[in-house]
Amino acid sequence: METPAIFWGVILWMVAWGVLGSILLRRRYFARDLDTTNANFVGAMAGAALGPVALGALWAKTPELTGRIIVAFALLAVVLIAGAFAFADPQNNCVANGSFVASQITNGLIIGIIYGFMALGLTLIFSILGVVSFAHGEFYMIGGMLVYYITAVWLPGINPLLAVLGACAIAFMIGALFERLMLTPMYTGKIDRPVEYGILATFGLAFTLQYFVQAIHGASPVKAERFIDFPRLRWPEGADPLWIKSSRGNLTLFETISISNPRFVAAVTCILVLLALLYLLHRTWTGKALRAVSQDRDAAAIAGIDPHRMNMLAFALGGMIAALAGALLVQAFSWLPQVGAIPAMRSFVIVVLGGLGSLPGAFVGGILVGLVEAAGTGCIPDAQKAASYIPAYGMIVLTLTLLLRPTGLFGRRFASGAHGQ
Amino acid sequence: MKRVPDIAGVLLLAFFAAFPLVYTGANYDYVMHVLITAFFYAILASSWSMLAGYAGQFSFGHMAFMGIGAYATALFCHYFYITGEPTGTCTEFGFFGNWFVIVNPIGVTSTTLTQDCLRQAMAGWGDSVSVTPMPVLLGIVLGTIAGGLAGLLVGLLVLRLRAAYLALFTLGFSEIVKATISAEIDITRGQAGLELPALFENGVTVLGQTYDKTDKIPPYYAMLLLLVTCLAILAWLARSRFGLFVRALREDPDAAAALGVNTTRYKVYVFTITTAMAAAAGAVQAHYVQIITPNMLFLLQMSLVVAMAVIGGIENFVAAALGAIFLQIMLEVLRTSFTIGGVEIDMTTWRLVFFGILLMVVLRFFRNGLIAPVIARFRRAGMAEETVAKRRAGEARP
Repeated sequence: METPAIFWGVILWMVAWGVLGSILLRRRYFARDLDTTNANFVGAMAGAALGPVALGALWAKTPELTGRIIVAFALLAVVLIAGAFAFADPQNNCVANGSFVASQITNGLIIGIIYGFMALGLTLIFSILGVVSFAHGEFYMIGGMLVYYITAVWLPGINPLLAVLGACAIAFMIGALFERLMLTPMYTGKIDRPVEYGILATFGLAFTLQYFVQAIHGASPVKAERFIDFPRLRWPEGADPLWIKSSRGNLTLFETISISNPRFVAAVTCILVLLALLYLLHRTWTGKALRAVSQDRDAAAIAGIDPHRMNMLAFALGGMIAALAGALLVQAFSWLPQVGAIPAMRSFVIVVLGGLGSLPGAFVGGILVGLVEAAGTGCIPDAQKAASYIPAYGMIVLTLTLLLRPTGLFGRRFASGAHGQ
Repeated sequence: MKRVPDIAGVLLLAFFAAFPLVYTGANYDYVMHVLITAFFYAILASSWSMLAGYAGQFSFGHMAFMGIGAYATALFCHYFYITGEPTGTCTEFGFFGNWFVIVNPIGVTSTTLTQDCLRQAMAGWGDSVSVTPMPVLLGIVLGTIAGGLAGLLVGLLVLRLRAAYLALFTLGFSEIVKATISAEIDITRGQAGLELPALFENGVTVLGQTYDKTDKIPPYYAMLLLLVTCLAILAWLARSRFGLFVRALREDPDAAAALGVNTTRYKVYVFTITTAMAAAAGAVQAHYVQIITPNMLFLLQMSLVVAMAVIGGIENFVAAALGAIFLQIMLEVLRTSFTIGGVEIDMTTWRLVFFGILLMVVLRFFRNGLIAPVIARFRRAGMAEETVAKRRAGEARP
């Protein structure tokens, strides 16, 4: 970075006004006896974006806040940070190199879709059981390991699609079995504090699964082979630059953005499964029952839905989704028994960002986190450090969310709990 | 019967106090090491059970605070020195007639090629100038404070939210601490690890007996003392109004708040105290093993602490400490392999699976752990007879 003083100065200015804004606006809301859930977020964003000007305007016209203003302020704040960065470090790869930026954004989107998909499982479990599954990363790991074992060790030469399906089925069964054996006492009031019990029980499952795999498999990294090869494609013929160019392992758009085959396949599969899942949730009886239980347990029970079975289904389905994400990514990354920790962390960040229990929030949050990580890895000057700090980018997002808007982007009422204080 | 747990506790303490003086096995150092590590885990498990069992705040970042304590004292002892003469190359300033030297971070390099500024100066001085490292005790105190401060900040951020957020955030926090320590190689030396002075660098002389710095007896008693101190503080807290408030907010935060307990404040207090304990344990352990790496922050360590506390009894910190000692000893005992029906099972890898399953079984069927109910049973012995006797007396009177 050439002139870091500019960048850090701008950041400091924004943070100072943001802090001031969030405190002042919250007070203002209290004085006017308004709902303060949004005040912190709006105040911080307005302060960060426009400093004293926006704060003064907000102070004068306190209750007239709409979602659009908040989004505009938030975007402006992001633009300001990006502008300051570009100004401070004009030689940086992610400022000067347009094609690098384009491919970084595309990759961020693609990986974000996969993250969002994985977080969807977590949020599904939370919305129905009220439990954050700390075994989510282990389901992810199990999914990848199973695909590797099925395709490379147990049944070599099998169609990878069948292997993925098999891994999903096994993960589904593990999830269902665990829910039946361990989580059932939570629902009947046998346990004083069910949420804490759920945290510990899933933590125990994570511990057991991880070391079970480690004991069986050992600590050597594995990687599955590519599921399918791209056809060799040049389209349109003779154009310069070619819009789409593909080789067996890679896809290039406009000769600048390069997407590797495994990631592309994983993202496309995730989108397809997501559509199927949406169909399941909105068009079938089971899915409607699931959503009904997440909205109001007792009312659903009165309407003839067995909430206990829905619990089992939700936990198994959530675990299966994580396993599917792992099964798709085992062709892209090398796989270890400990591999689940970082994606699990990401899923936690995403579900908090999107709003615990909100399905669209998980997906949007996933894409946002994917983009933030792409920006972080692409823009931090020291490449080695940028890579080691990957878990940290998500944590910054998480900290900001908890500070400014603990209900998340699409937080539902029931996800807010004690936040309204 | 009611006194049995107290008597057993005193006997156990006497046993641990006398053990190093009585035991004379060939594997003396190894056994001592296992016990010191067991005490270390006992501090972590008991403070964690105070946090999770008494206050109902599930934090998975206990190891991160332990690591902050350890790294704070390590960095303090690694970078700060007091010398008799100015080095001329380091950042330094006068300090009561001597010079307070801040060594420049050089990262991981070959020691023969590049030396930090103090080592260069010392090479020039020979033995003529005194170079005093920082006192270890001060480092441990600073580490404890650093851990407590970090706990305070994290607590202020997340403790106003629901339980799930704390668990999520602390898990991420420990990942971030690990990532930072691994990435800032210039300062923390990353995976190469920081070396620390021993707990008693110059040896100690107690009752005419001199122990040098590799002896296991001084760190053994230091760790045991820390464990007993922590348990005493926890016991005092649990019996005071503080403990009452904390248990009240565990059972029902809304009811506690309605009765005038500032729930967030008490949650932050208990979080700060327990994280400071974890940091103190980490600092002492770091000086005992004399090298720390980011690997001590692996999630495995946290899982072990959770397993220890749950298996001992999460709502009783003495039971959690005993569970930790028991489990740590079991972990060492199980470093064997045996064969069943021609299949060799290497317990070094399977023991953790075994503990995971034990953790889940205990959680499912013995909600108060394995050790806490035993204590409770003795405590309650005779309670029924007493109640009956009281009732009789009440009936006879009118």
